[in-house]
Amino acid sequence: MADLGVMALLLGMALSAYSVVGSVVGEKIGMAELVVSARRAMYMTLAAATVASAALVNAFVQNDFSIKYVADHSNSLMDRAFVWVAFYSGNEGSLLYILLVLTLISVISIWFAPKRLARSMPWTIAILAAIQLFYFGVLAFVASPFELLDTVPLDGRGINPLLTHPGMFSHPPLLMGGLIAITIPFAFISGALLAGNYGDDWIDVARVLAIIAWGVLGAGMLLGAWWAYTILGWGGYWAWDPIENVALMPWLVLTAFIHSIMVQKRRGLFRMWNVALLNIAFVLAQLGMFINRGGPVVSVHSFAASTLGIIFMIFMLVSLLFAFGLFLWRMPHLKSDRVMESFMSRESAFLVNNFLFLAVMAVTLWGVLFPLFSDLARDVSVSVAAPYFDRANGPVLLGIVVMMGIGPLLPWRKASARSLKQWFIWPTLTGAVTIGTLLALGVDRPIAIFAFGVVAFVAASILEEWWRGTAARHRSGDNWAMSWWRLVNGNRPRHGGYIVHISILMLGLGIIGTNFYQQRTDGALELGQSLVIDNYRIEYVDNGSSNRPDRIAQWAEMSVYRIDEDDYVVEFETARADGATGFTLEDSSMRANDELLGGIEPWHGFYVDFNMASVRSGIRSTIVEDLYVIPRDFLADGRVSLAVSINPLAWWLWASGPFFIIGTMVALWPQAAVERRPTMKKIQASAEGEN
Amino acid sequence: MPIVIGTLLALAAIAVIAYPFLGRTRYRLVSETFVTREKLRAERLRIYRKISDIEADFTSGDLTEVDYQQQRDLLRISAAEILREEAGSKSSRAERDQELEKEISRLREKTAQSPEGGDTL
Repeated sequence: MADLGVMALLLGMALSAYSVVGSVVGEKIGMAELVVSARRAMYMTLAAATVASAALVNAFVQNDFSIKYVADHSNSLMDRAFVWVAFYSGNEGSLLYILLVLTLISVISIWFAPKRLARSMPWTIAILAAIQLFYFGVLAFVASPFELLDTVPLDGRGINPLLTHPGMFSHPPLLMGGLIAITIPFAFISGALLAGNYGDDWIDVARVLAIIAWGVLGAGMLLGAWWAYTILGWGGYWAWDPIENVALMPWLVLTAFIHSIMVQKRRGLFRMWNVALLNIAFVLAQLGMFINRGGPVVSVHSFAASTLGIIFMIFMLVSLLFAFGLFLWRMPHLKSDRVMESFMSRESAFLVNNFLFLAVMAVTLWGVLFPLFSDLARDVSVSVAAPYFDRANGPVLLGIVVMMGIGPLLPWRKASARSLKQWFIWPTLTGAVTIGTLLALGVDRPIAIFAFGVVAFVAASILEEWWRGTAARHRSGDNWAMSWWRLVNGNRPRHGGYIVHISILMLGLGIIGTNFYQQRTDGALELGQSLVIDNYRIEYVDNGSSNRPDRIAQWAEMSVYRIDEDDYVVEFETARADGATGFTLEDSSMRANDELLGGIEPWHGFYVDFNMASVRSGIRSTIVEDLYVIPRDFLADGRVSLAVSINPLAWWLWASGPFFIIGTMVALWPQAAVERRPTMKKIQASAEGEN
Repeated sequence: MPIVIGTLLALAAIAVIAYPFLGRTRYRLVSETFVTREKLRAERLRIYRKISDIEADFTSGDLTEVDYQQQRDLLRISAAEILREEAGSKSSRAERDQELEKEISRLREKTAQSPEGGDTL
């Protein structure tokens, strides 16, 4: 199978090279057959990438340990379900996966490209084929997943244990797929610019393709956060790690893009700005590939440093020069002939929100690259940690959420004082009442209270929009549900966007809760003892261990009780006097108001082959808070060392995911053919009348 | 077996990319007229979409009646202008298509008479 894989990669390389040359030469000399042939070569690259991928999958299924990649990332005991994960768990396989995705989405987007872009398609195909050529070349000559071993081992090393989690089935493929998918809208816009098509013909295609890349990348990041929360056992979900950041940065820029592209669609403004944004997103995606492939910034996620780092750095620099060289060359043609009429308008709000997104991106980029600069300046690599990102980005992110509420309330072009008063009064009141209520309830942390107020303001602004639109349709005779459905259906990009905004608010609730109100305690328990934190008692009931083929596992069985603080007054006072948030109970006998909530079984595994420990926390999740129990260590004397935290509103982080996906799909769903609308008949009639 | 599959894949790729040169179908680059017509159609649909959006904005109370009517009228005028351009583009396209057909027939006749007998389009 290795031979077949290598043949397919070499063939793909040749086809990509032919597609680049054929498209450009065919277009330049006006040879239609050559252009068509080059396009078909592009289609065949998908076949080549598919065959190469199938060859690797088959090698995993057949346990072909003569292939180094298979021997390094699987063994004969590995569940076949994990072949999918093993496929992309290493550097070479992940590159092949990226190539497969790139060829697939390239072919689909070229196949369905609108006819009005026909003149720019040869250029678009040439750009896509050039990028494919790079990946085929790297896979064929530098990082081949089909490299053979001189001596065939009896068994493979096995799959990385951290990857044997449901989140791994979708998180890495979505992230890698999202990053590479940015190539497609970039190629369409660049193709149009190369062909001298400076109008708005690419708007709809670029918008749809950018939203797909954005949605996939966003879902990938959210799944990654969930995976980190449930499997890494450190109690958090986002660590501002360089690899997390390089996925976040293009996502932020794409978020700015999918807002400002609406301004170009509706008002004909921001054309140049939108091209620049997509260029930035594309280059940042290449930066992500570079850092992930042995780049100079250390990350727990990145693949080992290798010669690939320098190759991807060169490719990133070439991408940068091409994208912005082309932009500067065509810039004079991209200027819009319209102007913004008022600062108090929706387009103006979108521009502010764009600047805020770029500010977060710039702060994050500086944090990612700071070790390089410090290394150059002082010969010491200094990394910046989460507090830098939290302090610098936190207020700007809050500003973005504020703009999320303000933007949709402002009309296009300009707002009148009357409309401002009319539309802002209820959301503002809701925000103010929320803040007042929280203060009255004695909730501490002023910044968090303000943030809750902002979330309430934005939620109220969305509900107000829906209420007004639904009520207007309801007055014309539809029932409430149908009225709301017609409202959403009438402008899917807008209302899909609102659903995504709701998911961001849910995410915001989780971030505020876990960042400002998290409580932590730790302790070592003997069997029968309990750890108490807030209104929970965690009793250590039983333990066990087992030697499995891949790991030595130890587990603890624990009962979780809801307690009444009044039953533990003395213990709480003693703990607080010591500055602790929790305490250990020697005697676990039930007290008057103890209520058994259920059991949890956190476990600890040591994977001998990988010399790696893995922790699965015990999590009891509710809509209000998560009880998060990390088994740090199983001690020789039979005790278990625990780190316990209460993570308020953490449930909302993961509940936001389905809303994010639904909102994205609603925004993407094609609108019905507007030509059939009665209004259009009137227009045509009036036009014919004029003629 | 893998070598056979690989060879078949390579042969299939060669056949697919060679077909435009060897097959009976004749290709020509998309004409400027066709692209212009498609662009005008897309622009017209975008205007219709905008009209639909401002209708929704007006229904929801986001736009005053005066603003709505003003914007709608401007968009209708733009749509009418595009329709007029489209009508003009179609008639000139028909004329050009006719000329092109004549040119193709002339070239075919010429090709049939040439000693190599190859396509020269």
